[in-house]
Amino acid sequence: MSNPVVQLRDIRKIYDLGETRFEALKGVSLDIGQGEMVALMGPSGSGKTTLMQIIGLLDRPSSGQYGLRGQDVTELTENERAEIRNQEIGFVFQAFHLLPRMNVLENVEVPMTYAGFSPLQQRERALEVLHKVGLGDKWKNFPSQLSGGQKQRVALARALTLQPSILLADEPTGNLDSKTSVEMMGLFQELNDEGTTVIIVTHEADIASYTERIVRIRDGLLESDAPNPNRQRVAGGVAL
Amino acid sequence: MTPVRQIPQVQPGRPRSGLGGLNPLRTVSIAWRAVLANPLRSVLTTLGIIIGVASVIALTAIGAGSTANITKSLEGLGTNLLTVSSGVVNLWGGPMGLVRQGGPQTITLKDVAAIQALGSDIEGIAPTLQRNAQVKYEANNTNASITGTWPDYATVRNSPAEFGTYFTDADNTGRKRVAVIGYQVAQDLFGGSEAALGQKIRIAGVSFTVLGVLPDKGNSGFASPNSNIIVPLSTYVQRLGRTESGEVKVSAVFVQAADKNQLADLKTRITDLLATRHKKTDPADYDFSVQNQADALASVNQITQTLTLFLGGIAAISLLVGGIGIMNIMLVSVTERTKEIGIRKALGAKPRDILTQFLVEAFVLSVGGGIVGILVGFGLAYLGGGALKISPVISVGPIVLAFAFSAMVGIFFGLYPALRASRLDPVESLRYE
Repeated sequence: MSNPVVQLRDIRKIYDLGETRFEALKGVSLDIGQGEMVALMGPSGSGKTTLMQIIGLLDRPSSGQYGLRGQDVTELTENERAEIRNQEIGFVFQAFHLLPRMNVLENVEVPMTYAGFSPLQQRERALEVLHKVGLGDKWKNFPSQLSGGQKQRVALARALTLQPSILLADEPTGNLDSKTSVEMMGLFQELNDEGTTVIIVTHEADIASYTERIVRIRDGLLESDAPNPNRQRVAGGVAL
Repeated sequence: MTPVRQIPQVQPGRPRSGLGGLNPLRTVSIAWRAVLANPLRSVLTTLGIIIGVASVIALTAIGAGSTANITKSLEGLGTNLLTVSSGVVNLWGGPMGLVRQGGPQTITLKDVAAIQALGSDIEGIAPTLQRNAQVKYEANNTNASITGTWPDYATVRNSPAEFGTYFTDADNTGRKRVAVIGYQVAQDLFGGSEAALGQKIRIAGVSFTVLGVLPDKGNSGFASPNSNIIVPLSTYVQRLGRTESGEVKVSAVFVQAADKNQLADLKTRITDLLATRHKKTDPADYDFSVQNQADALASVNQITQTLTLFLGGIAAISLLVGGIGIMNIMLVSVTERTKEIGIRKALGAKPRDILTQFLVEAFVLSVGGGIVGILVGFGLAYLGGGALKISPVISVGPIVLAFAFSAMVGIFFGLYPALRASRLDPVESLRYE
């Protein structure tokens, strides 16, 4: 791998539940290259969500090393981690996680407020990414007025504002119907075509089939890691 | 780490401000919206602060207003004035606390004559008796405070007639039924001051001729000088006084000194004189008191100061209670918005950013409460002032203090909930339902 964005070395995560210890990750090593589109698959309880949280710097590994764009991010302070989440990682969650009291535009602006942009810059950039995901005319709406697919597009726009190194999507189609799911995957594919590294956590083989590489996890260990020879592409027609 | 890529058309990486990269106006507007999201809850939360601030503003304004009135009244009573009263002066008792109403009257007219005999230091002397009575003219009637006194009252109490004249010593000795009436009495009975001159009114059923009318003295709060009627003392004793045999006793004697510098000396001499005449040796037993105008002013100031301290105490307690209310609701708010905190942290909020957000919210709540409290306080001051017939004096001091105090309460009591919010774990917060 010529240009790895994510380098995981023997990542372990142990939850200490008082009397019992639960080992969610038992030593995972994984490289993800620049511009790859990877599916992280596994049944529930396999440790795939924990791994995603560690890659997203939401959680710390109990041991092991994590390099992000060549920088060791294992031992950073909370503030440094927040800054990297802000600048380098775009999250898309299954439950969308939009802020209900803010309209679409303001939701998209949130990461930029923490990056120290002026309100005018925030507005410009937010409208730009909203147009990109096909919701330029919905910026005034509140999340409750949107369909599931639209909400997920807003979340995607929010993840894209600061041009992250990695787009990290945790079951992004889990709350969407199959048609909207396919549209969503089309969006991810187009972003990936533009050079964004995309990591999609899913338990659905159908969704994983849109990626170019499938990493399977079971019981906290890598089960398989292989290119996806039968990659599906979403036909044109998705607004981007 | 390679440098952060530039975003097209946008200049990133502006230095983060003291608010942790947050735009201050934006932060306040977000906080304001969070406050408005639960309007009833926010109002109830800030009620403690609203009530505290409002009561301080209203009470200090009314207090300052009445102090101003009292000071004005005291100064308007006449210059170089000593007040000799029956019984012990109780500052809370009578009108302006100068004259004790009710209780036994101990100063006789012979005492008054003896005081008068003290010499040329005394410019004027006016013994008084007072009661309230119904006053009638034809079909009109009103209530007035009737004062029986000597003609010197006009100069001693600085209360000359605006229209007509005062009664004379001859009127007093002749027990003439003549009266000088207050501005409001003339208004009530005749509709004007000049129309009253020479007319016959009935005071408690006794017919009196109006000799003069006093000027409009405004409203002084506790006493209303415009509703006074002044009649000769001997006429009062015969026609309006209590039917008591024996010596005439008066409730108060007003003594005007010729010179301000003689006031203290004169006060001592009058006190000694009356003590001798009343055969009292121990000052604690004195059945009279001699008050200097300056003493009264000092007393009023003392009361005002005590009152101010007292109000400060009330304010501090209610703001404390209000602050605890804010802390309580902020803790609830942090719990309720655990998910929001998780989302914000995932999107790059530092602990400091979350801290700022919740701190500003508590600040907005408490300062908002403070502002509402100040406005409510204004309203109460004018309402209460109107009811008490005191024009409230609103000064900047209490307003600034109330504002600053509520802001401090917001920060102090908002700090703990905000710290808790800032320390939440992002993974657990995101999982929170």
